[in-house]
Amino acid sequence: YACSLLRQGMRQIIVTLDSPEIVALEKATPAPDKAAIAQASKRSVVEQLEEGTAQVSKFTSDAFALIIDGKSLVYALEPDVEKLFLALAVGCASVICCRSSPKQKALVTRLVKSGTKKTTLAIGDGANDVGMLQEADIGVGISGVEGMQAVMSSDVAIAQFRFLERLLLVHGHWCYRRISSMICYFFYKNLAFGFTIFFYEAYTTFSGQPAYNDWFMSLYNVFFTSLPVIALGVFDQDVSSKYCLKFPMLYQEGVQNRLFSWRRILGWMFNGVATATIIFFFTVKAMSPQGYDRDGKPADYPIIGATMYTAVVWVVNLQMALAITYFTLIQHVFIWGSIAIWYLFLLAYGALPPSISTTAYDVFVETLAPTPAYYAVTGFVVVSALVPYFAYSSVQTRFFPMYHTVIQWMRHQGKADDPEYCEAVRQSSIGHTTVGLTARSLARSNSL
Amino acid sequence: SAESNGPRRNSKRPKYSKFTQQELPACKPILTPKWVISTFLIVSVVFIPIGVVSLFASRDVVEIVDEYETDCIPAHSRNDKVAFIQGPEDKTCNRTLTVTKRMKQPVYVYYQLDGFYQNHRRYVRSRSDQQLRNAKDSRSTGPCSPEDTTPNGMPIVPCGLIAWSLFNDTYGLSRNSEELSINKKGISWKSDREHKFGKNVYPQNFQNGTLIGGGQLNSSLPLSEQEDLIVWMRTAALPTFRKLYGKIEVDLEAGDVIGVSIQNRYNTYSFEGKKKLVLSTANWLGGKNDFMGIAYVSVGGLCFFLAIVFSLIYLVKPRQLGDPSYLSWNRN
Repeated sequence: YACSLLRQGMRQIIVTLDSPEIVALEKATPAPDKAAIAQASKRSVVEQLEEGTAQVSKFTSDAFALIIDGKSLVYALEPDVEKLFLALAVGCASVICCRSSPKQKALVTRLVKSGTKKTTLAIGDGANDVGMLQEADIGVGISGVEGMQAVMSSDVAIAQFRFLERLLLVHGHWCYRRISSMICYFFYKNLAFGFTIFFYEAYTTFSGQPAYNDWFMSLYNVFFTSLPVIALGVFDQDVSSKYCLKFPMLYQEGVQNRLFSWRRILGWMFNGVATATIIFFFTVKAMSPQGYDRDGKPADYPIIGATMYTAVVWVVNLQMALAITYFTLIQHVFIWGSIAIWYLFLLAYGALPPSISTTAYDVFVETLAPTPAYYAVTGFVVVSALVPYFAYSSVQTRFFPMYHTVIQWMRHQGKADDPEYCEAVRQSSIGHTTVGLTARSLARSNSL
Repeated sequence: SAESNGPRRNSKRPKYSKFTQQELPACKPILTPKWVISTFLIVSVVFIPIGVVSLFASRDVVEIVDEYETDCIPAHSRNDKVAFIQGPEDKTCNRTLTVTKRMKQPVYVYYQLDGFYQNHRRYVRSRSDQQLRNAKDSRSTGPCSPEDTTPNGMPIVPCGLIAWSLFNDTYGLSRNSEELSINKKGISWKSDREHKFGKNVYPQNFQNGTLIGGGQLNSSLPLSEQEDLIVWMRTAALPTFRKLYGKIEVDLEAGDVIGVSIQNRYNTYSFEGKKKLVLSTANWLGGKNDFMGIAYVSVGGLCFFLAIVFSLIYLVKPRQLGDPSYLSWNRN
């Protein structure tokens, strides 16, 4: 009851081998008949499990707790019984296996993992938890009184049990968000870049001539677009840790895979292709075949290539600035710095002798910087490529907000500190998901 | 035991820093209606004037385009144009152009080719930059194959397919029977003239094979002065391109009749390419291209339209923001 695994109002299903007949069999003289005990015990366990299952299906709106001890677990984990045990356990809000051996802990974890195909997390602090920690998808070890064995065999180590809350709700949520954003964005920026090259191939009879100078392409993912992605994947936050803890339902975004669904992935990919289309066709239409500068010289391969690449670098970095809602000094330096690095690179590379810089020799200083058409084309292409996403984002933030957006709005309007409002938000955001939800929300409000 | 653990627990706590605790001061913008509408309005306010200015600049430029590749083949040879162009017949062709609007000098003369893939990978690589720069590197003809050496092993300078396919139509312009001189100096980029094409590199063994690909070069002029070659060797990005031929440094008045005497030598008939002669003025935004102006105005107009639409939506449906009943998983 201390940790709210069991609460008032929960129905309990207790599976033990304490029934009189089994005790009598165990105490039989002259020697206990092992086979008979085993048979009777197994039958008893199966009966209790079946009875529990019937109860659960009868009282569908109640929360159940299953309590089973180590001796019964031996029989419950046998191959022909384990499915019944798992079905009952999954239908209960809490399952308490007491007096179980390390091997049983591991077996129960494996059963849940393979039976429900969901991600399992195990937490423990002693050497007897090692099997369980290794078996689960995520093993959390607590370092402390019982030594370091649990920590050494775990995926994540914390110092106290209560840190688990922060680990899941804050860091778990942030990590999920960061990784899914990073992967989607990575696809986006490479599609935006690669499709301009692909479209250009249609104009070169698919001979394989790239639209850009070789070193431009090699350094795209190294210098000009890598730092913002790193900032996204390491530092991004949608809401601060205070709100992550205040609104635990935010964690459901990860459980229900809202940020990495196929719809979102394909949406970002489509954004990349659309961006590349706009950049390529607008640049090409705007810059050829007429004269490019005041002296009437036309725009040739180095000029069109460098202009298109400039547009790509700007669009991809500004897209990052539009997509994130958390700007520290790091994000600013990385995003604007990446764009600056492109210009610096163009200057430095263009200054190298033509034997090294080939088509990029002096391209910025001589042909791009002094010509108004370069700035006109770049500015126009960059803004046009971003307008669709900006419009989409405005509509989505306003009319189809995700849970973290709702919290951001509340923070923006100053309602996040109003306890009644927060409570209303929390209650109304609880949907029909998994069993145990009422328990968690009660626990939350109790501790508040 | 909690008290005795107290000081020990505190001593193990790592030092607090805003960076490691991820509490750096941060700006957390959100797309409020105010921001959305003002962004769209600013974009449209900036773009529409720029678009109008570009459109006016483009309208200011006067351009005359004359496609001549079919018309410059005499009628009796039209069913075998390739034979004509490769044969010894006289290739002179006379055309007339009429100036519709006053063209202020300098008037740029271009030749435009359609369907000529100067951006083909094998073609682009077929040059030797070393050889072009240095007389002593005349033997480095590696990438130029098959136009690298003569049959008896002497290097071709400049080698490669790009140089070999040098465009060699020439144009003689006259206005009202008076010759118009075309200035052919300064038509290439300065960096090419000074750093990529050497002052001491002279053409050798150029275009003297059995298969003639294009024009000849004056072997007494160094490459840095062969501006037609330099312009041609700066490969174009697309299959439809113009290259600068020269400049006319007198004004052309409206109604002027320009006579052009074309030497129609260049073979675009093997691949059904097109040849065009272009006379155009240029201003600060370059040559004539309405696309920029139209596109700027269109995007500006679209943004203005979106600003209006969003304003209407925000007025008509002023939903309380932060209302969780709109969460997607609550709507089923």
